[in-house]
Amino acid sequence: MKGIRISGIASAIPKGKRTLKDDEKIFGIEETTKISSSTGVKTRYIVKDGECTSDLCFTAAKALLSQLEVPTSSIDALILVTQTPDYILPATSCVLHDRLGLSKSCITFDVNLGCSGYIYGLWLAANIISSGTLSRILFLAGDTISRLISPSDRSVSSLFGDAGTATIIEKTDDESSQMIFSLGTDGKGKDQLIVPAGGFRYPKMQKTSERSMRKDNNFRSDEDLYMNGPEIFSFSLREIPPLINTLLDETQWSVSDVDAFIFHQANGFMLRHLMRRLKIPAEKFILALSEYGNTSSASIPLAMTHDLSRRITGKETIKLLLSGFGVGYSWGGVTIKCGANLVLPKLTILD
Amino acid sequence: MEKSEILSMFDDLLELDAGTLKGDESLAELNWNSLAIIGFIAMADEKYQIALSPKDIINAKTINELIGLINN
Repeated sequence: MKGIRISGIASAIPKGKRTLKDDEKIFGIEETTKISSSTGVKTRYIVKDGECTSDLCFTAAKALLSQLEVPTSSIDALILVTQTPDYILPATSCVLHDRLGLSKSCITFDVNLGCSGYIYGLWLAANIISSGTLSRILFLAGDTISRLISPSDRSVSSLFGDAGTATIIEKTDDESSQMIFSLGTDGKGKDQLIVPAGGFRYPKMQKTSERSMRKDNNFRSDEDLYMNGPEIFSFSLREIPPLINTLLDETQWSVSDVDAFIFHQANGFMLRHLMRRLKIPAEKFILALSEYGNTSSASIPLAMTHDLSRRITGKETIKLLLSGFGVGYSWGGVTIKCGANLVLPKLTILD
Repeated sequence: MEKSEILSMFDDLLELDAGTLKGDESLAELNWNSLAIIGFIAMADEKYQIALSPKDIINAKTINELIGLINN
């Protein structure tokens, strides 16, 4: 798709910091060191009671709109990608519509995706703008996965962090601006990354909140997030290298043409393995999970807030490759060529 | 795919001194956890370009059975 550009990206995190010292209190020094050297996570930021996804996304949106000097009346649509909405209903994008003071003609909706969510949101926004009806979309992506974690489940407890992000995507006269997408799904993976209880298939009841030792030697309830590390790793190795190679072929780029690769910040071990397998030079591969953990749908834009600026200064156009994959299973990738005048406000902390 | 080469990779994966494992060890008695399984999948992919399925790995009971997954 041509004539579409990303004008800016902003991110916000909560104040509450968790470190390895906090993990050591639960798992001990030896276990914590082992886990952290595999996941690559050293710190992450966690919401406290009363702090929700919309608060994080609102904070990021305000920072972005202010720096871009975009009037709220000019926003044609608001798309929110989240797996941790403020309410079951109404859509959290409607809640944000009110808080941001958007116009009545603004179209808003939520999309329930995680790891692949940012790619899907970009795809939706790009398609909507391409169809000619709308010009400027505010795309928010954020999650408070920490609310779904059992603190004594070592497979997830020290991995996830919270964050909210905002991206402005709009029509541009610059025809050299383009995005090429490749997306996919395999619902067979639905049980490998799941919160089993609390929806309507398996409603909440007394027993669903009771934590117990499970087959994988971790302690959680059916209302807590379950993640099957080996299956998800195996899935990533199966689907992601072909996805990236397909994208590069379709865009007619080689790895060396790309200025920066930004993957969903799932897990350090897996990312480093994929980086080696795809022969991506380390200096082009953005890693942010050491500081923020795995922030679900926010992880790709947060990584860009974290470390894209210095890579694009002095350039006229930039070439990026983004890829998100996981829960669902759902996956996607996009190559982006656009002007290097991308606005990247500094990371904001939730007040 | 020399057996001794693969055994020393398992020594490494399980943080044991090189030359510790002989092959007949039962996984239940070693620190064979999900981190080790992921390490094994990565090793098979990187060194042998083999895609292992976690289900096959979980069914294995000894180091030799795991080696069998690579050699087959």
